[in-house]
Amino acid sequence: MIAGVTRGRLKAASQRFSGVLMLAALPAVVATGCRKPPETSGAIAIEESIAPLPVRIGTEIVSCKLTNATHQPIAGARVQVEGDMDHPGMAPVFADAVEDAPGNYRAPLQFTMGGDWVVLFHITLSDGRRVERQMDVKGVESN
Amino acid sequence: MSKPPVVLFSAAEQEGHAGEEEFLEAQPFDLLAVPVIGPLLRWRHSRTLLQIPLFVLSMVMILEGLLGPTLSPKNLATVLTWVHFRGVLVLAILCAGNLFCFSCPFMLARNFMRKWIHPRFTWPRRLRNKWLSIALFVGVLFGYELFGLWASPWLTAWVILGYFAAILIVDGLFKHGAFCKYVCPIGQFNFIASTASPLEVAVRDQEVCDSCQTRDCIRGRREPASPLVVLQRGCELALFQPAKVGNMDCTFCLDCVHACPHDNVGILSRLPAGELMSDPLRSGIGRFSRRNDIAALALVFCFGALMNAFGMVSPVYTAESWLERTLHFHSRAGALGILFTAVILVEPAILLGAAAWITRAWAGVKSGWLAIAVRYAYALSPLGFGMWLAHYGFHFFTGLYTIVPVTQNAFAELGWPILGDPRWTLVGLPKTVVEPIEFGFLLLGLAGSLLVAWGLAQDDAEQHPLRAFAPWGVLCVILFVCCVWLMTQPMDMRATMLAG
Repeated sequence: MIAGVTRGRLKAASQRFSGVLMLAALPAVVATGCRKPPETSGAIAIEESIAPLPVRIGTEIVSCKLTNATHQPIAGARVQVEGDMDHPGMAPVFADAVEDAPGNYRAPLQFTMGGDWVVLFHITLSDGRRVERQMDVKGVESN
Repeated sequence: MSKPPVVLFSAAEQEGHAGEEEFLEAQPFDLLAVPVIGPLLRWRHSRTLLQIPLFVLSMVMILEGLLGPTLSPKNLATVLTWVHFRGVLVLAILCAGNLFCFSCPFMLARNFMRKWIHPRFTWPRRLRNKWLSIALFVGVLFGYELFGLWASPWLTAWVILGYFAAILIVDGLFKHGAFCKYVCPIGQFNFIASTASPLEVAVRDQEVCDSCQTRDCIRGRREPASPLVVLQRGCELALFQPAKVGNMDCTFCLDCVHACPHDNVGILSRLPAGELMSDPLRSGIGRFSRRNDIAALALVFCFGALMNAFGMVSPVYTAESWLERTLHFHSRAGALGILFTAVILVEPAILLGAAAWITRAWAGVKSGWLAIAVRYAYALSPLGFGMWLAHYGFHFFTGLYTIVPVTQNAFAELGWPILGDPRWTLVGLPKTVVEPIEFGFLLLGLAGSLLVAWGLAQDDAEQHPLRAFAPWGVLCVILFVCCVWLMTQPMDMRATMLAG
């Protein structure tokens, strides 16, 4: 009888515990399920490049060329460039690009250490649409 | 209750250490006697209280890793795992003890499972050592470099998931704490690192244990009317408190604290790394000098710290490229495998073999060279810990604030930007501040290793302790110089595979 009562208490306690665990994990599950889908670039073509090669620590020029569906340059966009190491916890670098020809945007980006980098182009078109493009820059060399 | 001083050395060892007597006579600090913290830790559910938030965080990291941003610096899974978790873990071990094992989220899942699934098997006798966990530890270090785990939230999430699966399978099949004691690579890292911690779970009064009839600290307490019902577990890692020495194999679970009917187990202060200077019979372990596997763990811990840092600087790629060209490897695995073999196997074998041979020949120590190497291998673990601290501390301090924009971004991506726009410019402490801290950790490690080696040399060669110490002192200094060289190299982190 005593053992039965104890087991009953244990069972009730474990049920309460499992309830607490499920409640605790619920926000994470719900939150991830609600994630917004990423924006798409639609009919915009983005051609990105970097120079000089090979990429070394220091300032490099990153460029992107924006064209529409009819291959016409897209002028008047605002392009911000962000460089991140692929290791978390490292300082990102930022630069604003200037339009040196219609649809052609260039920015000097300071690579602060060797290794694999990812360059992000945050593009805001003149009509307010926002587009993002990622360029992998592998193996930036130390000087 | 009387609280005699904690004896760190035998009576014979204390001779000639008159200056240390005052220290040895001092009443140890007991964390369980501290207001608020003590009662909280004594509370039976204190461990669960810390495990639940870490478990929830693990779930968030898995989901974010699998479904969140693919860019590593913007994902909670990679930022928390490779910047904050590692840093907090080593700093907690340095300042207190093995607090990660105490709050281990994997154990929460395992304890939950064991409410329904009761393991039937005992861990195989042949595997009751550290060799399997050493292989897994090396495997984790190798996989980290080969797959560039730091760069992949997706792979990081799978590593966490794999960990949960492994503990549920192992501890679902095998009784007691088989996973923690014989399998878990993080646990082994924590065990060997925490030999340098300032706190340990230990008995307060040996006389109380001498008169104890029940031995609840290891057997646990059961329902008197129904012996199958466990009211309180005893130590699952087979550490019998009265004979327990140091932090090796101790997960700080505090089961012994809760089980002891005499309230005779505390979290006491001690001399960091002091447990490495002597070689008593340790409960659940035996003598360190007869445990080649634990000595190997100490070496992997030390040389693995060098290899792990070496994988993040420019020269490693020069070496890999040369190996790939020379030996015509078509993948990075071959060159990396050779580097790992050289640093973790060949280098320690040569260095320790030479130091042991010199100790034997010059100081007249009668043991064989392997026995000497095993005995002094433990002396390298404080230096190894210093290197882990310097490396992980660097990432932690320089990336300290990155958790802020990553969390802001996670909320913003959910369409719930309550924390505002991500402030990506928040990074961490400047390198000029962090670098002196790094060198401080390395110096601390060197000092610890030299002290342990000196303590062992004094025991081994009473006539010529300096001769016994010299080769190990030189070895420690050589390794220290290597550590300093590595920490001053330009960082160069390249992932070979970007999954997800």
